[in-house]
Amino acid sequence: MRWMLRRGWMYVCALAVSAFALFPIYYVVITSLKPRSEIYTRTPDLWPNDPQWHQYTRVFTEGHVGRALANSLIVATATTLICVLVAGMAAYALARLEVPLKRTLLMLILTTQMFPLVVLIIPLFVLMRNANLIGTYQGLVVAYLAFTVPLAIWIMRGFILTIPEELEHAAMTDGATRVGAMFRVILPIAGPGLIATATLSFIAAWNEFMLALTFMDTEEKKTLPLVLQQFVGRGDTDWGAVMATSVIYTVPVILFFLLMRKRLMLGMTAGAVKG
Amino acid sequence: MSTTSGQAVAAGRLRAPRPSAAERVMRAASKLTLPVILLLPAMTIIVGLVGYPLVKTIWLSFTDTRLGDLINGTSTWIGLENYKEVFTDEQLRTSLVNTVVFGSACVIGTMVLGMCVALLLNQRLRFNWFFSLAVLLPWAVPAIAASSIFKWLFDDRYGFVNWALVGLGFDHFKDYAWFADRNSAYVAMFVVVVWQSFPFIALSLLAGLQTVPKDTLDAAAVDGANAMQRFRLVTLPLLRPILAVLVIFSTIWDFKIFDQVYVLAPGVPDRAADTAAVTSYREAFALGHFGTGAAIAVVLFLVLLVFSIAYVRLIGKEART
Repeated sequence: MRWMLRRGWMYVCALAVSAFALFPIYYVVITSLKPRSEIYTRTPDLWPNDPQWHQYTRVFTEGHVGRALANSLIVATATTLICVLVAGMAAYALARLEVPLKRTLLMLILTTQMFPLVVLIIPLFVLMRNANLIGTYQGLVVAYLAFTVPLAIWIMRGFILTIPEELEHAAMTDGATRVGAMFRVILPIAGPGLIATATLSFIAAWNEFMLALTFMDTEEKKTLPLVLQQFVGRGDTDWGAVMATSVIYTVPVILFFLLMRKRLMLGMTAGAVKG
Repeated sequence: MSTTSGQAVAAGRLRAPRPSAAERVMRAASKLTLPVILLLPAMTIIVGLVGYPLVKTIWLSFTDTRLGDLINGTSTWIGLENYKEVFTDEQLRTSLVNTVVFGSACVIGTMVLGMCVALLLNQRLRFNWFFSLAVLLPWAVPAIAASSIFKWLFDDRYGFVNWALVGLGFDHFKDYAWFADRNSAYVAMFVVVVWQSFPFIALSLLAGLQTVPKDTLDAAAVDGANAMQRFRLVTLPLLRPILAVLVIFSTIWDFKIFDQVYVLAPGVPDRAADTAAVTSYREAFALGHFGTGAAIAVVLFLVLLVFSIAYVRLIGKEART
């Protein structure tokens, strides 16, 4: 009885918080599985009485969700690959080599993380227009590098700093060049850090909305958040389609989060995944 | 044997002629080659895609620029006119006030809930794995998806929230249109932002809580401090550095908020619920007032810069130790 009084209320709170966290996700999933008649009702049930997949097949065939999914994957993957390569090189230099003004550079890189994107977007739009990159994958990828690269440099530098420098020295005394040591010794050990950084860059690009909204002006090149926003913005919203698209859009990120749970926190203090 | 050869080497080094100036320059240059090669692509991106646009936006904020001017580069310099407009025009000024008030509310809400959840997680209750997993998930939902989800939950006719509120006896909420009124739209947006942001705060604070030495807490308990006093006198001071970082961090996030407001606020009359980022974007890309849009963006940037500098100083301090 005393246990109930001392710990019981904590369980109640934990349950309430879990419900607050999970309920919206649960409700989206069940809505996406409901038939139309069960969605547009004033007495919604908390479970689908007649679960069916047709919302998903519908958004893939009627809507442009399939194409948008492919666009999102292409853009996020390309951003991630370039970002990890470029940022990895810079992170290594900033972690290991003598670089003049290193502190200033690092502080600058960290500060760029804090900029509101809206302060960069007008000139970026002009740059893309003049380079004829509006409505292209390349244009969006280049724009995404603006905010993924600084973040990735900061995180990867942190990972490289945790690798003992003696390992490289040993490799270099054994005859490896600095570049050789970088690729053969550091890269394999930094693997987990690289994967974490790649994941964070991918999610950042996957979630981005404002730049995509500005640059991707043709239907064929729209990414998932744009299509989703179009669905929601319509006067007579097709909630079944919105919910199915939301699930499709969210599932990859949730999978990443579950797989990378431990490592995500390490990178987060540098300021990451958030719109 | 080894000592003599060591001395010989040392002596040889002493006798070697000092390198000429040209040689020293060459040596310094060759030492710089690798860092420059490694840093060049990243620096090009940062200077070209962050530095240059920032300077350009600041310049645009002093000009009258329409779409044609923007493309042909024919903006007219009008000095501080745009800034005057930002601070006198009712709608523009409101967007700045909205940003500060709504942003601060979100920071407070997120921090309070995040702290409570972190303390609960730290109790290591049974089913803790489930609790921490539940708390992690909202963080993974992209902003546009979260906004769509909550727009559905808060739907006037078929939404879950109104159904539940009416079911609880609040008949006032029958067909209540949350997104047609400024205050109720803010309530809904507050819920979305807090829902999305508290997991990160909670998990970061949990990491901080786990570094609080148990001995100190036990000692305080032996000395007769109750749970509340232990939290206030032992835990809180130890958490102060990480709390400071998190507060600055969420302030930056919540002040530059765009996605959620862009999706959820357009139904509010006179766009009275827009925040600075959305207003800046709309002024520029929907209304074609690129100069005014730039000016709002610069004001927001300057506000955030204060927080950024504070953040960088804190992180820099940590990085040094």
